[in-house]
Amino acid sequence: MDFFTYVVTQLNQLVFYGQQHFLLVGIAVGIAALIALAAGTLLHTNRLTPDTWSKPVRMGTREGLLIASSAALTIPSLALFGMLQPILGLGATPSLVALTIYAVYPILRNVVAGLSSVDDAVLESARGMGMGPIRRMLTVQLPLAWPVILSGIRVAVLIIIGIAVVAGAINGPGFGSSLLLGLQRLGSVNSFNQVLAATLGCLVVAAVYELVFWVVQRFTTPRGIRV
Amino acid sequence: MSDSGAGKTMIALEGISKTYPKATAPAVQELNLEVPEGTISMFIGPSGCGKTTTLKMMNRLIEPTTGRILLDGDDVTKVNADELRRRIGYVIQQVGLFPHFTIGDNIAVVPRILGWDKARISARVDELLHLVGMEPKDYRDRYPRQLSGGQQQRVGVARGLAADPSVMLMDEPFGAIDPITRERIQDEFLELQQQIAKTICFVTHDLTEAVKLGDRIAVFGPGGTLQQYDTPDMILTQPANEFVAEFVGSGAAVRRLSLLELSRLELQTVGLDGTAERNGSPTYEADAEGRPVRWAYVPGTEAPPQLVTVPHTGTVYDAVDIMLDSQTELVAVVDDEQKLRGALWWRDLVEGLKTKAGA
Repeated sequence: MDFFTYVVTQLNQLVFYGQQHFLLVGIAVGIAALIALAAGTLLHTNRLTPDTWSKPVRMGTREGLLIASSAALTIPSLALFGMLQPILGLGATPSLVALTIYAVYPILRNVVAGLSSVDDAVLESARGMGMGPIRRMLTVQLPLAWPVILSGIRVAVLIIIGIAVVAGAINGPGFGSSLLLGLQRLGSVNSFNQVLAATLGCLVVAAVYELVFWVVQRFTTPRGIRV
Repeated sequence: MSDSGAGKTMIALEGISKTYPKATAPAVQELNLEVPEGTISMFIGPSGCGKTTTLKMMNRLIEPTTGRILLDGDDVTKVNADELRRRIGYVIQQVGLFPHFTIGDNIAVVPRILGWDKARISARVDELLHLVGMEPKDYRDRYPRQLSGGQQQRVGVARGLAADPSVMLMDEPFGAIDPITRERIQDEFLELQQQIAKTICFVTHDLTEAVKLGDRIAVFGPGGTLQQYDTPDMILTQPANEFVAEFVGSGAAVRRLSLLELSRLELQTVGLDGTAERNGSPTYEADAEGRPVRWAYVPGTEAPPQLVTVPHTGTVYDAVDIMLDSQTELVAVVDDEQKLRGALWWRDLVEGLKTKAGA
């Protein structure tokens, strides 16, 4: 059977895997984005953290979180999936948890970078006009940091699409299980087609996300800072 | 410039000091300052003398270590800082417009926080754009990056005025603007102040600007001490101490020329040719409307010099400028209808200018 015929016969199955993969990545990155945004914004402004937190504590927590999340990214993915298995079992839940852990770093990094890149003069004039810390964050800092944050989310999505394949090792959803199965029985009937189809499937998912991001970026970047 | 010294005190600093954490010496120490309502006070001094720190303590962007701040008689040292700042206009050198807001939205920031209704905000935005010389329909919906530096600072001033605060704090607002635009924007600013009569504190490092714009000048010295707080004229002619004298420098006498309006001077009388006797004063020929055309007779010279005029609303500085420019020792001072009021001689400058009694 040639590759094209294989895809046609397996089309329903492949589309199902694609949807699973798409959702798995979307949910994991979505949760990671919420975590990173919450942590990044809270730790960026002095007055959003408890009064007892001095500046060094706040900055230390932020840097600590960055280091911890970057360290998490260096854990081999197969190992992390394996380590989560005894606690969370097999399937979607441990896959989601592991992928969320991986996605935090690129987003948090960009939240921090984006918020730091906001012009001091803009912040000073905001403060001088009597805007409190929450109002400043919501109407000035986050909108101005948004393009940088969004590109962080985009990078996270691309990384996670690749790593999500490994979730197949613990029976996670998506192209992973199909691809790993194909690799195991390489040499037997249709095994290469199976591997190729899963790989290209990941690329399709990535392409769809790129389209989504193009639209999101277009409609969420404030007009005054659009290049 | 309006009359200084009159009116009640709008801002009072009482024994204000600021010592930054971990600093050994205070940035500002034991400062007492009373800014009269409706006047412009210029804060000037060398770098690190605490002039900006003092300004920022007035809206509590920097919290004073000790002392009291009184705004219109109320102690505002402990009130909610954000609410206080909404009552005080604030304009900075880098302008700091919100790049993602339109010009209209930038100006509307404080009115929106204060919860004005839409119609009132939009009317106010248009009014302010007119006030700073920008056509609302052309600029309201543009973004800051589409504006030149001078235009951005005009918007900055408009934004500071948005909620009609009685006090404006300005931190070197025209410092980053090119010299030609700066001079124009300063003139516009003075005209604006004629209409709005705000109490303004204005940090500058440019003595010429301080003399030009200020009703009063506060000279700050090392260690955040106030050396002298007085009218530009007094600062230039009677510096309180060595430090002020040295800071004001050798150009003081020339700078004073720009403080003296020609209308306040006792000018040399001149006569219309053929009507008055030539008793030692110059005479001129006039056209049908009575505007001077040329000198007919100027004592002490056979060939009368070219007749050059200067408006009486100008200053002695302008008159000197015109004399040097046209290389003549005599300049005719004219009023708004171009009628001759009198003449000013080069030698009058050296012999001492006489001001009118009571002026």
